[in-house]
Amino acid sequence: MVTKTEETELNRLEIQVDNGGGGAWEYLCLVRKLKVRRSDKVLKHGLSILNDPKKRSNLGPEEWTLYEQVAVAAMDCQCLDVAKDYIKVLQKRFPESKRVGRLEGMLLESKGSWAEAEKAYSSLLEENPFDQVVLKRRVAMAKAQGNMSGAIEWLNKYLETFMADHDAWRELAEIYVSLQMYKQAAYCYEELILSQPTLPLYHLAYAEVLYTLGGLENLQTAKKYYASTIDLTGGKNTRALFGICLCTSAIGQLTKGRNKEEKESPELHSLAATALEKIYKQRAPTKLPLLNSALKGLKI
Amino acid sequence: MALGFAVGVFGVLILAHAAYSTIQYRGLLKIMEEEFSGPPMTVLAEVLLGLGLCMWAGLTVPGKFLSIHPDSEENRIVSLPLNVDFMIFNHRGRAFSSEIDMKLKY
Repeated sequence: MVTKTEETELNRLEIQVDNGGGGAWEYLCLVRKLKVRRSDKVLKHGLSILNDPKKRSNLGPEEWTLYEQVAVAAMDCQCLDVAKDYIKVLQKRFPESKRVGRLEGMLLESKGSWAEAEKAYSSLLEENPFDQVVLKRRVAMAKAQGNMSGAIEWLNKYLETFMADHDAWRELAEIYVSLQMYKQAAYCYEELILSQPTLPLYHLAYAEVLYTLGGLENLQTAKKYYASTIDLTGGKNTRALFGICLCTSAIGQLTKGRNKEEKESPELHSLAATALEKIYKQRAPTKLPLLNSALKGLKI
Repeated sequence: MALGFAVGVFGVLILAHAAYSTIQYRGLLKIMEEEFSGPPMTVLAEVLLGLGLCMWAGLTVPGKFLSIHPDSEENRIVSLPLNVDFMIFNHRGRAFSSEIDMKLKY
């Protein structure tokens, strides 16, 4: 969960380090804490720290974590020699370590030798059959090879054991959405909302999946979840506001022939439209006529 | 910061002095064998003054208060963490050649 202050701090540190000011170590720590994927910057600045023996000794015992972080970044940037060297250094220091074994498996993965990587991971799993990270790497490998059904199978087996891992649920939902299996994706998002009900982004994703599924009931539920997103973000999420307008118009189209008594009040739609106009007036006034014509086109 | 701290200490001293005067007043009443209905007006005024000073110090010394609204400008969630555990290396970035001089020097 990257908040706005953390993002501004990260960007500021990044600009500072890029322009030659100090603070590379703080930048790398922040990247590690926030789990963002800036592999090229991590590689460049990590190399600059680790190639300088004075800075390296300043780190003390933290240098091994930095080795691991830069090794993964190197694999992401396809600099496999650097990654291999670093893993060798780590292996010399921690000979029997599982963590280094995982890094070796990842190196084989990034080289593209899937069979050997599979062998390495299976041997690691023999020693410890409940190693979460290795199980997840196996899923990632299936996904990288394009074997989506295999990835889904592995991930479902993983989630049977570790039901509380929301990263895995999110990954499963995204895989289902990419395969257009929206009902299953909706189930995954429901699990995510159950475990973290205060995150508006999950509500938004669930509402969008329901809207894509279509059908009167799904549209009504989608409208409720768009509304809850607006509630959680204090009315600032334009996507949810648009979602409400679209849901109202779609529901109106579906219930055109039915009784007028069942019609829902148009207050929510008009409120959302007013809020949208206010936001656009504030932030993008040139696009306001576009917005107005689009809202008029939605038949209510 | 130092001023707030000094004001806080001063407020606490005033409160302690008010407590001491109340005890003295009670002793005086015991001598005169009257009921202890309540502390004298001066002590009440002193307690209120001490309260005001300590509250002001308590609010200024800790520094800037952080926002607790989840949707305020600083606290709002900008992005979810990318799933680093499921990261794959099989992406199109492989085709880009890196401009860094990638050698591990010792």
